[in-house]
Amino acid sequence: MKIAWFYFASPPTFYRLAGWLAPWFFALAAILGAAGLYIGLFVAPTDAQQGEVYRIIFVHVPASWMSMFIYFVMACYGAVSLTFNTRLAAMMARALAPTGAMFTFVALWTGSFWGRPTWGTYWVWDARITSELVLLFLYFGFIALANAFEDPRRGDRAAALLALIGIVNLPIIYFSVVWWNTLHQGSSVKFTGTTMQVQMLWAMLLVALSFWMYSIGASLTRVRAIILEREGRTHWARALAA
Amino acid sequence: MSVAVSPLVPAQPEGSFAAGFAWAFARDLKLAMRHPGETLLAVAFFVLVASLFPLGIGAEPQLLQRIGPGVIWVCALLAAFLSLPAMFAADYTDGSLEQMTLSPHPMGGWVGGKIAAHWFASGLPLTVLSPLLGLQYGLDGATLAALAAALLVGTPVLSLLGAACTALTLGARGGGMLLALLALPLFVPVLVFGAGAAEAQASGLSAAPHLSILGAGLIVAGMAVPPAVCAAVRIAMD
Amino acid sequence: MKPHEFYIWMSYGMTALAIVVEIVALRVRRARSLRRIEEERDLEAQD
Repeated sequence: MKIAWFYFASPPTFYRLAGWLAPWFFALAAILGAAGLYIGLFVAPTDAQQGEVYRIIFVHVPASWMSMFIYFVMACYGAVSLTFNTRLAAMMARALAPTGAMFTFVALWTGSFWGRPTWGTYWVWDARITSELVLLFLYFGFIALANAFEDPRRGDRAAALLALIGIVNLPIIYFSVVWWNTLHQGSSVKFTGTTMQVQMLWAMLLVALSFWMYSIGASLTRVRAIILEREGRTHWARALAA
Repeated sequence: MSVAVSPLVPAQPEGSFAAGFAWAFARDLKLAMRHPGETLLAVAFFVLVASLFPLGIGAEPQLLQRIGPGVIWVCALLAAFLSLPAMFAADYTDGSLEQMTLSPHPMGGWVGGKIAAHWFASGLPLTVLSPLLGLQYGLDGATLAALAAALLVGTPVLSLLGAACTALTLGARGGGMLLALLALPLFVPVLVFGAGAAEAQASGLSAAPHLSILGAGLIVAGMAVPPAVCAAVRIAMD
Repeated sequence: MKPHEFYIWMSYGMTALAIVVEIVALRVRRARSLRRIEEERDLEAQD
């Protein structure tokens, strides 16, 4: 049986698929988000040490996870676009970047407002926060570089290469709490288990899944706009605008 | 016997990494020495800005000792950043870069030579001058040594990372700003460990862990970045 | 309770705001690209 691996690599085909899929992901995001927020804000008990303010964790940690995960996926799409020289993979990378930047900003902002009541300061230059800030600049650099050329394909390739170079930042963010003495606590959630109270864990995981579904929905929606921008002179695109 | 079509392409029919490296290194150094204004610019900038800080903050000795390593490192970083475009820009605009990609030598060789020449003309002078600037800040001997050692290991990493960013932005709109947005975030770890080495020494701890990480970073960058620069140059040549 | 509410509101509020801004930006971008295709098509139809 012959598998048509590149069936969805055609922009008009993927445009239709993305349009069909995106609403489902947004719906999932809303449901999971509502469930997670309900558990996090109303069911999970007050923390013994931090009181109520610990509840920021339910947006801060999922946003941080997404900021790193989206960058990783973006770099993978970049690698695919460079390896197979496809347009659509590069467009997906471009579609992911703004969402990733958004979550990075949210992670920094919520972390800042969590740090003020707990650590006493809005900002501290510890390894994790600094590398997360570097990640935000990497996203900005990716977007700027991709749009800095007359030829969009040149921008695709340059930005994909930049994403791959910057991927070294992800292990630094992730392991920074292990390698350095920082104000940040160590990982409470590992693959081997967790020390968190179960309702708090559930709320965090549900919101994380919600953000993940939202990211997929948002990037599918954005890639449709990018496809229209890039392929705007084709017959199928013109027929759409009718 | 092959005929050289351009004076830039060496006449040997067989290319080698070392030959390409040596050729590009010698060429870029020669060019740098023919334009001493540009090359000394980085050094002059380094010295000037490092001298501005005591003037601006006030020459209180303890304060200067405290901020000395960090300030000197930031100045070195900015000076290295300023001299980055010169690595590829002139060759890109007059077409020599394209000729070089046609060279029989493996691309990694002459790209490496260019990066080495850049470091030799900017990073190395900064490293040599850093003890003098450190004296301006009242740093003691051991701290000066740690600072110079950190710069010695760290500035090549800056040249390597900067080369990758410069190659990526060849022919891009946005020029220097775009390069700053790409390069400076990648410079941050080098700055953190480099300045950290001198500061550790100044507070009586050992600078060895910082220098070790810088050294490891140099090895990794030295192996991983030249292929990335080659890929970026190829992208720019399309 | 009172001071802590401020931090929680600022965090959740900014998260919600960021998501809303992104969704609005997506709609604007889509409308703009569709409009540009229409304009180009109409321009070429005039030739």
